[in-house]
Amino acid sequence: MAREPDPRLQASSAADSRFDVADEVDEAALAAVMRYVPLGAGVLAGTAVALLVLGYLLIYALVFIPRGTVG
Amino acid sequence: MGECPVRNVERLCLAHFWVAFAAFLVAALLGTWQMWVRSPLGANIGTPSQYFLSVTAHGVAMAYVLTTFFIMGFGYFVAVTALARPLPGKAWAWGGFWLAITGVALALWAILTGKASVLFTFYPPLTGSAFFYIGLVLVVIGSWIWCVLMLVAMGAWKRENPGRPIPLAMFGTCANAVMWLWTTVGVAVELLFQVIPAALGLVQTIDVGLARTLFSWTLHAIVYFWLIPAYIAFYTMVPRAAGGRLYSDTMGRLTFILFLIYSLPVGMHHLLMDPEHGNGTKFIQVLLTAFVSVPTLLTIFTITASLEIAGRLRGGRGVFGWIASLPWERPMVLATGLGFIMLGFGGFGGLINMGYGMNAMVHNTSWVTAHFHLIFGGSVVIMYFAIAYEVWPRLTGREYPSLTPLRLQLWLWFIGMMVMTVPWHWLGLQGQWRRVANFNYADPIIAPWGPWVVVSLAGGVILLVSALLFVGNLLSLHRSTAMVVARPLYALAVHPPRRVPAALNGFGLWNVLVLILMLVAYGWPLAQFAVEPSPTAIVHRVE
Amino acid sequence: MSERQPDMQERRILGTELLWSFGVGVLIAATLSIIVLTALTMGINPPSNVERADPKTLHLSGEFAEHNLGTSVAADGSVTARIIATQFMFVPHCIAVPEGRPVTLRLAAPDVIHGILITGTNVNTMVVPGFVAQVHTQFTRSGDLLMPCHEYCGLGHSEMWATVQVLPEGDFRPDGNGRVSCAQR
Repeated sequence: MAREPDPRLQASSAADSRFDVADEVDEAALAAVMRYVPLGAGVLAGTAVALLVLGYLLIYALVFIPRGTVG
Repeated sequence: MGECPVRNVERLCLAHFWVAFAAFLVAALLGTWQMWVRSPLGANIGTPSQYFLSVTAHGVAMAYVLTTFFIMGFGYFVAVTALARPLPGKAWAWGGFWLAITGVALALWAILTGKASVLFTFYPPLTGSAFFYIGLVLVVIGSWIWCVLMLVAMGAWKRENPGRPIPLAMFGTCANAVMWLWTTVGVAVELLFQVIPAALGLVQTIDVGLARTLFSWTLHAIVYFWLIPAYIAFYTMVPRAAGGRLYSDTMGRLTFILFLIYSLPVGMHHLLMDPEHGNGTKFIQVLLTAFVSVPTLLTIFTITASLEIAGRLRGGRGVFGWIASLPWERPMVLATGLGFIMLGFGGFGGLINMGYGMNAMVHNTSWVTAHFHLIFGGSVVIMYFAIAYEVWPRLTGREYPSLTPLRLQLWLWFIGMMVMTVPWHWLGLQGQWRRVANFNYADPIIAPWGPWVVVSLAGGVILLVSALLFVGNLLSLHRSTAMVVARPLYALAVHPPRRVPAALNGFGLWNVLVLILMLVAYGWPLAQFAVEPSPTAIVHRVE
Repeated sequence: MSERQPDMQERRILGTELLWSFGVGVLIAATLSIIVLTALTMGINPPSNVERADPKTLHLSGEFAEHNLGTSVAADGSVTARIIATQFMFVPHCIAVPEGRPVTLRLAAPDVIHGILITGTNVNTMVVPGFVAQVHTQFTRSGDLLMPCHEYCGLGHSEMWATVQVLPEGDFRPDGNGRVSCAQR
């Protein structure tokens, strides 16, 4: 008598053919969005990193240096 | 394949995870108590003896037990699910588990009996009971067994799949294993040849400069050991959870390789204030530390781009429209967003810590405490939660009745962590120093700190609630009646690789580079102790 | 659909990653250059003296014998403060330093690892038994500052701190031996 296949059997893989489990992503839709990516990521991540560097330089100049030398 | 891959390691993974999360819960309770005791509200509560026992237990539980056991359990899970084959050497895996448990028990006994209040960073010549250190050595040896099994599993898969790229999740896991083998050498040598002989009374003096340098070898790369599982989730689970694709598989491999190379030769940025090393080696290691920021910067771009793909596939338009259209109701996606915010603030603190000049402004102040609670306790541990939430249904065969408690727990963790750590950053700049059982809030310099310490305590209480809710969520799954729905775990890349260069599919070349970099960074700093040993200090027993 | 399309897309992806790497690389290089520049021109470095001293004999003779501790002004006008850090106090408990002049702090520990910071300044160093810790600085404002032990050194760590009195130039007067003590308040 056949048993229900264990649903966890599906939960596996990553790499190629036997290991990739196809996702719901439509290749045509993917190609369409890839015309815009990574503009949003570039702006978001770029802004974050720029703020990080700016904050770093501000603390350096406005907090660290006025406290006197160390050596 | 006849046998279900996950069931192959189900009990092994759950055993590791429950030890990790039990330690986590106890440590969260201790941490909250500590914060209360050292605040103005807890002025007459607790003795220094109790406080430093708690700090030692909290640090060991969070930094050594939660992390090591979680990473081992997650590694076994990845090894069978990513490679779709049973775990080789499962008996050895259980052996490693029990060895590590024995080590935890030994260390815990030493700590709880007050014989090891030396904190999780040891600080020789302060010396506790030998059982404390031997216990930790056993945990490390257990983890070495895990490392070997990961590499054996990878090797077996490669032989069965010649020419194929190793699944990215396993590649990252193995990079982590290789790095762990390299980095534990420092603390192992310190413990086996210096601290344990001192603890056993075999030697009466100890070379402190050498001990600190050996510990620093381990001290930075260990945080990347903790961090890489979170990055494995970023690259291999988050894009799938968001409904998109991984922007670049190649970047994932490169990231793990860069961590392997650059997390090791940088430990001296923890010794920038130390008098046993000169400017030259300190500067070299600061330079190398700048390089280890690169994989994180690559990651935030690649994962943000992957999320952008998912958001645009769901209809998001414009430069930022894709953000709102992401499936934030899914815990893995929510955790990533919150984790990235904490990564930004935590990374900012870290950049200042590693500053050749600015380290002097913050060393051993609450800024440091704030930094590692935010970056590790915040961005890394929130991803541990997300990973646990993702794999628990697969391990138990059950599904959550509702995702709301999961999201609530993640939000509480984020809010609590921000409320706790932001005041600590400020207090650190005011000069508040570390590891203090009680402050004299009557002192005019210290008095203004009081209100901020209380704010921080409030954050800690929120974290405790979140920690309890986390464990509750997992327990509720064991009792859930809903059966799991099959759902693929790992993401595809936009361009799934058919072949990758050998350099991105193995570690032979990178091991050579690690060796060279370690010689450059640590060669002279360690050799100097052989050429001209430091005057030794007398062992100070704390038992 | 031709095979070339995925390859071109992959090349484009890697191209954007390269562009991003270049951008962050420039930012990192610029930030590092600023650090190097200030290190060279303003002499800002982490304290890195590397001078060995036997912790077991510190008290017996030489520089860190008790009568030689505290602030003293040498014949050439240089100001040096010598301090012992030990479980669980600093000797001396109060250190007088001048405002606006180069000061050298030299610390040693006979027992376990300690460390110091001085609030509101960049003075920070570990005090490791086996070595003399040395920090050069200039105090930019007068007033009383806190100098706690900031590294865990045992159960009494919370109680271990000293006071630093930054004295305006007129109040910083060495006695006949060139020593300066804290003002009695």
